[in-house]
Amino acid sequence: MILEVRLTQIVPQMTGATTECFYAAPGDALRMGSKLIDLSVDLSSAFAQECPPVSYYRIVLRESAFLRSIETRPGDFTAVDQSIALLSTTPDEPLDEPPSRAARVTIAGILPHERMFSGQRI
Amino acid sequence: MTLVPLVLGPLEAKGFTILRSGVRWLVEDGQWCPAHRPIGFVNVSLEPAGKLAGGQPMFADEMELQVAFAPRVAGRLKLDGEMARGGYLSIRTVAAWDADTQVGQIETDEAPDDGEAGSLRLLMLAGRRMTALADVHSGLLPGWHSRSRGWWSEPGTTPITLLSLGVCDAAGVVTGAQTAFTEMFELDRDATQMVHIPDHPIAPCLPVLLDQIERTPDQYEAIAQDVHRHFGSLSKPPTANDWMFLGAMLAALQNAPLKDRYDIFSAGGLQRLGPPDAVLLSLAVEPQSILRHRTLGYHMHVMRHHQAAAGPAVRAWLSSAFEPVKRPIDAIRKDYERLIDSLQHLSGTRVICLNRMSTSGHEDIASYMGFDAPLSETLSNVAAKEMNLMLDDIATSSAIDIIDVDAIAADLGGAEHLPDGIHQSGPLQTILRQEILGCLVSLRH
Repeated sequence: MILEVRLTQIVPQMTGATTECFYAAPGDALRMGSKLIDLSVDLSSAFAQECPPVSYYRIVLRESAFLRSIETRPGDFTAVDQSIALLSTTPDEPLDEPPSRAARVTIAGILPHERMFSGQRI
Repeated sequence: MTLVPLVLGPLEAKGFTILRSGVRWLVEDGQWCPAHRPIGFVNVSLEPAGKLAGGQPMFADEMELQVAFAPRVAGRLKLDGEMARGGYLSIRTVAAWDADTQVGQIETDEAPDDGEAGSLRLLMLAGRRMTALADVHSGLLPGWHSRSRGWWSEPGTTPITLLSLGVCDAAGVVTGAQTAFTEMFELDRDATQMVHIPDHPIAPCLPVLLDQIERTPDQYEAIAQDVHRHFGSLSKPPTANDWMFLGAMLAALQNAPLKDRYDIFSAGGLQRLGPPDAVLLSLAVEPQSILRHRTLGYHMHVMRHHQAAAGPAVRAWLSSAFEPVKRPIDAIRKDYERLIDSLQHLSGTRVICLNRMSTSGHEDIASYMGFDAPLSETLSNVAAKEMNLMLDDIATSSAIDIIDVDAIAADLGGAEHLPDGIHQSGPLQTILRQEILGCLVSLRH
């Protein structure tokens, strides 16, 4: 079964998110609780503030799956509802079928850290 | 309905002639205006009436000096168009301040209970430019300031001073939408001075503030020499952005806002105030890791977007000349206690602190398995909860007032009013202003 991770509307005012880092590579067998991706959400376009209102989030898998493809790279901007990754319940199912459902994930606010793309830019 | 003439009212500074520019209006003629909301402003200058005793004239370092004015009653405004001279005559000071100058009228259905209804309430504003080059002429307190302040008082009263040293969560609340303290002025009828120091380019976390209090002139000189040595010997010259960052940085390192004293003028004449009666800090500015200079030992905390504003030479210097030092929660607690004790001995300044939003409607954590322990080093909301608890612990034994942003925002709706945990909505800012003013009540004599 093909599973998909799409960017959901984490914050009501967001239009998308920037990929900060990925924790897995295509082909990896991921367990429930595996970290998948860290994202940053910048609400600058929604709020006129003197500093960018940026917050950081992590997507963690709530089920076991094989990571099959990653649709984004660190630094890429992904719009809300666009695909981030495809997973499957077995390692080698063909990806030519549309995803059966969304992968079960947890989203949590995190602190920025050194592995993040935006941290490395400075 | 009563038509009340609006006059500038008294403003005095003994030994000086107060000059003003033409009026710049903040409202339209015919507009309805609530009481105490500024409707216009003038630039002012204090010209010595006689021979100067020597030294720098008062307010010479505050090149933005303005007076905004507000009616004491609500009503519909009839503005005197002649008061706006236009062009540079509304920027340069071209007329002597005259208490009887009428700027317009207000049609009100309130019954003014004294003869003061027509005398405008005055909000004095002063900005110390980060550089004299920042001579911007638009609006209230325009330009880039290393310190801005606003004060209001009636004759016979002495303002108490609140110094705001936080980042955005404090700055927006204190300085308001026009960054000129107008919302605080509108809410507060007591004599008060609000002072704001921006986080340009060094954010005012506790190690930075403690360094500022304790730094001697010789220690500052050593820092300046070290900066000069490093940047003067680079093979590739620093960029314009590097130099601008360094200028602002050295100014921040040289100043100690918690020791500042303030000259003010008002209807009651000239007064000397300070140091601040209270300081507003933000828990959100405290990092879990801070840069410490490898040889001179001073601290540096530059927000990410301000690091990005520096040039490549400064960024390389921050990476090589400083070492990151972890700040466990206990170290942050000790820094708070040290600052509170220092201020009690130094000036009696009361510490008021905004705590952190520690919940979010944007999470759906079903299990903590995917997050590394300790959770407070990974999850922002767990970190915020631990910091808030630490602040509560301090309050049991030390003199500190906590503004419970966490509870207020949760009550109002965090997702709606504090979407990123730092930048508040207007309604939330209004509540926080009332909370801060409530803390100041106990400091008034």
